[in-house]
Amino acid sequence: MVVLALGISLCVSLVHFVRIVNAGIPRDLAPAAGEVSPAVRYSFTGAMSPTKKESAYLHLPTYATGIIFHLGTFLSFFLFVWIWIGLPLPGIPLVLVTGFLTLSVACGLSMLGKRILERKLRLLSNPDDYLSNMLVDLFQATLVLSLWISAMKPFCFLTMALLLLYFPVGKLKHALYFFAARYQLGWFFGRRGVWPP
Amino acid sequence: MTNDQLQHAIDLLRPSGDSRLLTHLNSCVHCGLCAESCLFYLATGDERLTPARKADLVSSIYRRYHSVTGKLLPWLVGARELNSESIDEMVELLFGSCTLCGRCTMHCSIGVDVTFLVQTGRKMLSEMGLVPATLQATVQAAVETGNNMAIPVEDYRDTLQWMEEELTDEVGDPEARIPLDKPGRKILYTLNPREPKFFPLSISAMAKIFYAAGESWTLSTRMYDVTNYAYFSGNDGEAALIADRLWSEMKNLQAEQLVLAECGHGTRAFRWESPNYLERSFPFPVMSSVEYIAGCIREGRIRLDPEKIRERVTLHDPCNLVRNGGVVREQRYILQSFVPDFVEMTPSGIDNHCCGGGGGMLSMSEYNEWRMKAGSVKAEQIRRTGASIVVTPCHNCVDQLIQINAFYKLGVRILTMAEIVADALIIEHETRIAKQSRAPLK
Repeated sequence: MVVLALGISLCVSLVHFVRIVNAGIPRDLAPAAGEVSPAVRYSFTGAMSPTKKESAYLHLPTYATGIIFHLGTFLSFFLFVWIWIGLPLPGIPLVLVTGFLTLSVACGLSMLGKRILERKLRLLSNPDDYLSNMLVDLFQATLVLSLWISAMKPFCFLTMALLLLYFPVGKLKHALYFFAARYQLGWFFGRRGVWPP
Repeated sequence: MTNDQLQHAIDLLRPSGDSRLLTHLNSCVHCGLCAESCLFYLATGDERLTPARKADLVSSIYRRYHSVTGKLLPWLVGARELNSESIDEMVELLFGSCTLCGRCTMHCSIGVDVTFLVQTGRKMLSEMGLVPATLQATVQAAVETGNNMAIPVEDYRDTLQWMEEELTDEVGDPEARIPLDKPGRKILYTLNPREPKFFPLSISAMAKIFYAAGESWTLSTRMYDVTNYAYFSGNDGEAALIADRLWSEMKNLQAEQLVLAECGHGTRAFRWESPNYLERSFPFPVMSSVEYIAGCIREGRIRLDPEKIRERVTLHDPCNLVRNGGVVREQRYILQSFVPDFVEMTPSGIDNHCCGGGGGMLSMSEYNEWRMKAGSVKAEQIRRTGASIVVTPCHNCVDQLIQINAFYKLGVRILTMAEIVADALIIEHETRIAKQSRAPLK
C-alpha cells in the first residue's frame, strides 16, 4: 500500500518538478546590478533567519512552532523508513524521539487551532489547509504510538499512504515549490543588487 | 466585458515562458505571517487586506482553471471562478489596497512573490478593461500627449524658460542654461511631469547641479516623461509604447547616457522593466539621478557646504527605487556627505515602509481614504525621527508625503534629493569653467 502510494506520489511530484525545471529561470534583459549566486545563498540562509525576516521576528512563537513541526515531519519520514526496514530503536533514543514528536504533534495541533480560531487565518484558509495539517499531525501521532504499540503500525502505514497520495495535489506540495520560490527570490533581488544586503 | 476578454484574462494565468508564475502561484501556505508587512493591514487592521489574501485571489483563479485538483475538487483547494464577485474583489484589493511595494515579498516565510502575483492580477483586470478609470486616464494622457499630465509643449517651454531665469539668478551666471533638444550631449535628462506642472523648482535644482558639475546635458521637448503608469495598470503594450519613446529620443538626440529623474516607479519601469517590454537590451547606460549626484560628489565634481543644512534630516526610501531597484547606499552617501544631523527611519532601506502613494494610488482618487489611512504608518515613522526635513528621491512619494504632512500635522518640509543638494551646492565659477574645458560640451 505504502509502496504504491509512494510510487504515485513520486510520479506526480516528478511532474511538478519537471514543469518547474522545464519552464526555466526567468529571463531578464535588463542589465544586472548585482550577482545572483550570493543572493540565492542569502535567500536560503540569512534572509530566512529570525533576525532578518519580519514574518519570523514579529511572530517568534509561531516561527518556533513551525520550525519544530517541520523538523518533526522530517524526523517522522526518517523514522518511518527506519521502522519499515525493521531496524530497532533502543531505549534512550526512543524516549527522546517520542518526546520530540509529541512536542511536534502539539505544535501542529496548535497551528491548526490558530487557523480555526483566528479570523484572519480563517479568511485565508480552505479545506486543503486544514486537511494538510491534520494529515501530517495524524501521521506523526500514529508514528509515535506505533513506536510503543505494535498494533498501531497498520494505522501509521495507512496515514503515511494517505499523506503520500495527498502530497502532490494539496498545499503540502509547497515542500517542492518552496525551493523554487526561494531561488527565484534570490535571483530577483540578486540581479537588482538588493540582496545580500 | 466579452467572453473573449474573460478567457484572455484566464489565459494569463497559464504558466508559460518561465517558471516564475508557476512557482509563485503554487507556493503560498496561507500562514498569514505576511500581514504585518503590509501598510494597508497595519493601518486598518482589516483582515481582507493581508498580502496572502491578495495573492490568493489570483492563485485561487489559477487553481480553478489550470490545476487538476481545482478543476475536479474546487471546494477542497479554494479554487474560485473568475466572475463578477471575484472580479470586484480583485479591483478593490489589487488596485485599491496594494502599492506593489514588495515588502511582503521580501519578508514572506516561503518566498512568494506577492507583488508579482498582484501585478499579474492587474494584467488580468487590464485585459478585461477594468483598470480604474482615473489610473487609465493617466496612462491615456501619456499615450496620447507624451506626458501623463498632458502638458502642452508651449507651457513646458515657458516653464523651463522661467526656470532658466531662476538658474541664472541663483548661480549668478547669465550664461547658465537649461538646454533643450540639444543633440550630441552626453546626458539626456528626464523629468516627472509633476515637476513642470507643480514643482518647477526641482528642475532648476537639478539644472544647478548639472551646472556646478560642468555637465554636458539636455532635456527633450518631445519625450521627457520618466513615468510609466502603464506599469501600474498592467498593460504591457502601453508600457512598451511609452518606454519605446524614451529609447527613440535617446537615438534622436544621440545622447550617450540616460539619467532618470527622481521617480521610483519611473526608474523601475524603465531601468528594470522596459528591456523586457521591448525585448531588447539597452544600447546606452541608464542611471537614476541619485546615482548621478552621488557620482558627482565622489568624483569631486560638485562640492557641498556642510554648514548649510542645520536641521535634522531623515530619508524616505521609495520602494521602487530601493527595495525593487537596488539603489540603497547612494542616497545615504549623498546626505551623509553634507548633512550633519541625518537620522534614519525605523525600519529603513530595503525594509522601509511604503508611503502609501505607490502602485498608482496617487492617481486613483477613488481610493484616497485608504491611501491616507495607509499613510499613517509613514507619518508615525517620520514623527519618531524628530526630523524637520524629509528627503525622498521620488516625486510620487513627495506628493504623498506632502499630503501626509498636512493630514497628520507633522510640520516637516519635504524635499527631493536634488533640492537639498542644490541648497548646499558651492558654486565655484572658476572651477566650473575648468571642468568644462576638461570635458568639452558637444
